[in-house]
Amino acid sequence: MSESGPNIAVLRFPGMNCEEETRRSVLATGASCDIFMWNGPTSTLADYDGYVLPGGFSYQDRVRAGAIAAKDRVVDCLFEQAERGKPVIGICNGAQILIEAGMVPGIRAGSVEMGLAHNIMPDRDGYYTRWTHVVVAHERCCATAALKPAETVPIPVAHAEGRFVTRDEGLVDRLFEAGQVVLTYGAPDGTPADGFPDNPNGSSRNIAGISNPAGNVVAMMPHPERSSWMFQLPDDLPGEWGRRRRHARGGDALFGPGPGLGVMSSLVRFIENNGKGA
Amino acid sequence: MTRTTARAARTVAIEEAGDDVLRLTLDAAGLSFTLDEARRIAELLGRDPTVVEAHIFNTMWSEHCSYKSSREVLKKYLPTEASNVVLGPGEDAGVVRFCEIDGTSYCIALAHESHNHPSQVVPNEGAATGIGGIVRDVYCMGADVIGVLDPLRFGDPVGRHAERTREIIHGVVEGIWQYGNALGVPNLGGDVYFDESFDDNCLVNVVAVGLVEEGDVVRSRAPAEAASVPYDLVLVGKPTDPSGFGGATFASRILDEEKAFDDKYAVQVPDPFLKRMLTVATQEVLKLLKARGVAVGYKDLGAGGIACVTSELGAAAGLGVRVDLSKVPVAVGGLLPEVIACSETQERYCLVVPRDVSAEVVRIFNEKFELPELCHGAAAVVVGEVIPEPRFILEHEGTVVCDASTEQITAGVCYERAQRRHERDVPEVGIPGDIDVADAVLRVLASPNIASREHIYRHYDSEVKGNTVVRPGEADACVVAPIPGERVGMAIAADGNPFLAALSPYEAGAAAVAEAVRNVAAVGAVPIALTDCLNFGNPEIAEVFQDFVDAVRGIGDAARGIGMKDSDEPIPVISGNVSFYNQSSAGNAVLPSPIVCAVGRVSDIAHHATLGMKSTGSSLLLVGERHGELGASAFMRTVAGGVGAGPPHVRADEERAMMAAVTDLIEAGLVRACHDISDGGMVVALAEMLLGSSPDTEIGADIGLGAVLPEGGAGVGGGVSGEGRRVAVDALAACELLFCENGGYLLEVDPADVERAIAVLAKRGAWHARIGRTTATSGLVVRADGIGDIVVSEGEMSGAWLNGATEVML
Repeated sequence: MSESGPNIAVLRFPGMNCEEETRRSVLATGASCDIFMWNGPTSTLADYDGYVLPGGFSYQDRVRAGAIAAKDRVVDCLFEQAERGKPVIGICNGAQILIEAGMVPGIRAGSVEMGLAHNIMPDRDGYYTRWTHVVVAHERCCATAALKPAETVPIPVAHAEGRFVTRDEGLVDRLFEAGQVVLTYGAPDGTPADGFPDNPNGSSRNIAGISNPAGNVVAMMPHPERSSWMFQLPDDLPGEWGRRRRHARGGDALFGPGPGLGVMSSLVRFIENNGKGA
Repeated sequence: MTRTTARAARTVAIEEAGDDVLRLTLDAAGLSFTLDEARRIAELLGRDPTVVEAHIFNTMWSEHCSYKSSREVLKKYLPTEASNVVLGPGEDAGVVRFCEIDGTSYCIALAHESHNHPSQVVPNEGAATGIGGIVRDVYCMGADVIGVLDPLRFGDPVGRHAERTREIIHGVVEGIWQYGNALGVPNLGGDVYFDESFDDNCLVNVVAVGLVEEGDVVRSRAPAEAASVPYDLVLVGKPTDPSGFGGATFASRILDEEKAFDDKYAVQVPDPFLKRMLTVATQEVLKLLKARGVAVGYKDLGAGGIACVTSELGAAAGLGVRVDLSKVPVAVGGLLPEVIACSETQERYCLVVPRDVSAEVVRIFNEKFELPELCHGAAAVVVGEVIPEPRFILEHEGTVVCDASTEQITAGVCYERAQRRHERDVPEVGIPGDIDVADAVLRVLASPNIASREHIYRHYDSEVKGNTVVRPGEADACVVAPIPGERVGMAIAADGNPFLAALSPYEAGAAAVAEAVRNVAAVGAVPIALTDCLNFGNPEIAEVFQDFVDAVRGIGDAARGIGMKDSDEPIPVISGNVSFYNQSSAGNAVLPSPIVCAVGRVSDIAHHATLGMKSTGSSLLLVGERHGELGASAFMRTVAGGVGAGPPHVRADEERAMMAAVTDLIEAGLVRACHDISDGGMVVALAEMLLGSSPDTEIGADIGLGAVLPEGGAGVGGGVSGEGRRVAVDALAACELLFCENGGYLLEVDPADVERAIAVLAKRGAWHARIGRTTATSGLVVRADGIGDIVVSEGEMSGAWLNGATEVML
């Protein structure tokens, strides 16, 4: 870890499109950050303290969202780094890649145990964008370490395939019991979402983010880089953050940190807590 | 390049052919120009053209490429010059200065186009390639695209062709999100109208806006250096295939149901994945070329394909080009040279770079970004060179298939079309004297042309790039902070009410400008530029052409009349597009549809406004006199059952004063919420402000109709409070005040700031009145003596407004 904080790599797979703002969000925590090409020298990937897989449409969502990128050699390398305890956060398409690579939920690391299926929404199909109220269901993972238990964090979603599903009926229960369901969709007051649209995609038991058993790999659908500054929040947002956003109008507070920055800060906190190259 | 054989190219026999034979010859060759045009080509060349030359002229002389009907009209009426304009119309996108930070001048690049015919025939691909084409126009200026907008016009979703219309709506919306979201460009709104005149011709317009440092603007021309230093033409992108061959001519004729199957092949195939990779790779290439300090040219391939792009790159510099079509990567074997030269295969660019860096440029695309690995057959390849003599030479397998002067190829043709103003047959419509005004409010709110567009815009990613401040639905315009770390904001909105054009194309053109200006002003942005897309029927019909001319006059007059804030300059129209032949073979033409997009600058996004009410106990100010002109209003069409007469006249001086005052007020932090008055009139604006408030707070509005009367307000120097003023009105007068679509604004203001706000309005000479306040009881109350108070509950309003449009799109 350098003096200025940890060094994070944002991985760019062909077709991704959130690399730049994800990098800006990581930089806002004080960490260093590079964008790392999918065909870059894998030998240098190990030099980083943590990794973020951003959103987009890697390989055009061919076969299934995330399926092709999950087979890239850079993901093998990422897998090794994660096994050594380094944190990895996959956001949206990045989450789809981690699921397809078997890194999340990772009970049997490397085998695909879940899927991110197409959204199920009343009277509509395809892509859906909306601000959601994400509730911290477990705070010991690398995406929530700097957040409070049961804290409500408004973050927008934007996806067509974000519904966590599994064929193994008991798996979801086991994930909850093991503390691997780290983020869920809630109502603005933090109570569990009661269907659409607070749960924007029909995800099983409102799951918004899942970690591996060790908590160092997290797949989450909401986009924290779009909620990292107050000005990014809609001013009709309900809840406490919405009230703060409306009060920030006209002043410097509008350029202060937003709720989603807590996810990136968690990544840094997790590295600090666990030491470099744990 | 060397010529290996002297094999003669195939020619089209024009010079010796009589009319009948010539028509047969042209039809057999798939050439759509007139006999007269064919003979002019032979005359121009002094010989029969080769088949390739004939196809090039066919494309370049199409309405789509040549603007042969519209050019002179646009030149005559539209203001395109102002001190902030870097590049006006003529290149792929217009460029205007936006802001200066630490000595760096940042500019906005703006382009506007239509993809109407393709979207009618294959809605998904048509709409997707519409975005694909317009973003290329902005990228190739060296800009990064920071937003796209889609003004859409669909048929009647409950009309005679409801099923087909709903299929088109679904396909178009899907095409927009599938392409735009994957490309990673935020969707910043647009607008949607439904009318049966669009049953046979939907309109899918698309705007792209980009950010570029002034010093980084790349021209769509070979640099002057290419006259003395060797320059290569690098073609990059998708391998050329026959898709879109004839696309420009397809766009330049009326749609024919019987040919619909053939027409599908004139539509290109979208690939946002490849476009994203091309974008990232090209940004790296441009950075390298800048670091090397070399001048380059860059242009996207659109209509007319390789022939159009290479000839124009040369012609714009007064130079020539030589291209070997055999070097062009192709997706399938056996393509004829005219297909390689003119196909509109998507996702391609042409760069003009010095020969000593062309290999390095090719390597970045092909090796660093692995284009050939990512997309079958995609590559960057040197296909030709710039030559000093102004000739356009194409070779194919050793044969010269085109050899003409670049001037001849690119000069195009021009027509003076006949104009004839037609009497509009507008049946008289009466408003019943016993009309239930509260019921009328709900019916207008529920009408598909007024109701919430949430069903559509929630398909679009409006937040990618992380710079979005105001999203669709939250205000009259979207706002982004395009320079990370800086507080300057860009606001953008597109408008064009087609129903006004049913009464007056001139007012429709002027109103499109006025509304677009109001929309950006309503978020606190000062307008800096306009772009337009003009959608009309067949220009060979004198009445249609007259409509076109009138609409263009209206745009020009409003752009000059409103003008830029605190300046005597017009708001410049820096780019645009004309789409004719939006007419079916059955003769149904679309309502004349001039659509205008305005861009504005918010100097500090800490001070911007959205439309949702913020607090209870606020004062409500009406800005802009209600002239009671109900013609073509949503009220007339929905409640009275006809268009009526007398459309709202655009009073440019009033719009100018209001724009200046409202932007002053927002910048000074004196406005809690702001919404412009347009479709549906002030009562719809008020309802939308209530429905747009945060669900956390119960907010209603209580206004007095007496205050809304023209004499209730104040003009220059005034400051009359009409609040609480009770004047008896009848139902008709109430409807005129509440539903007329005369331009204006509603402001929510802290009572402590009202006097200051009124002083600013008075100083700017903007008509205004205090009409009421926000209350802690939800719903809307309009106090009206004579007919009794008009009361509408929040539940009724939201039910009507939220579901009205969704229901017809399922």
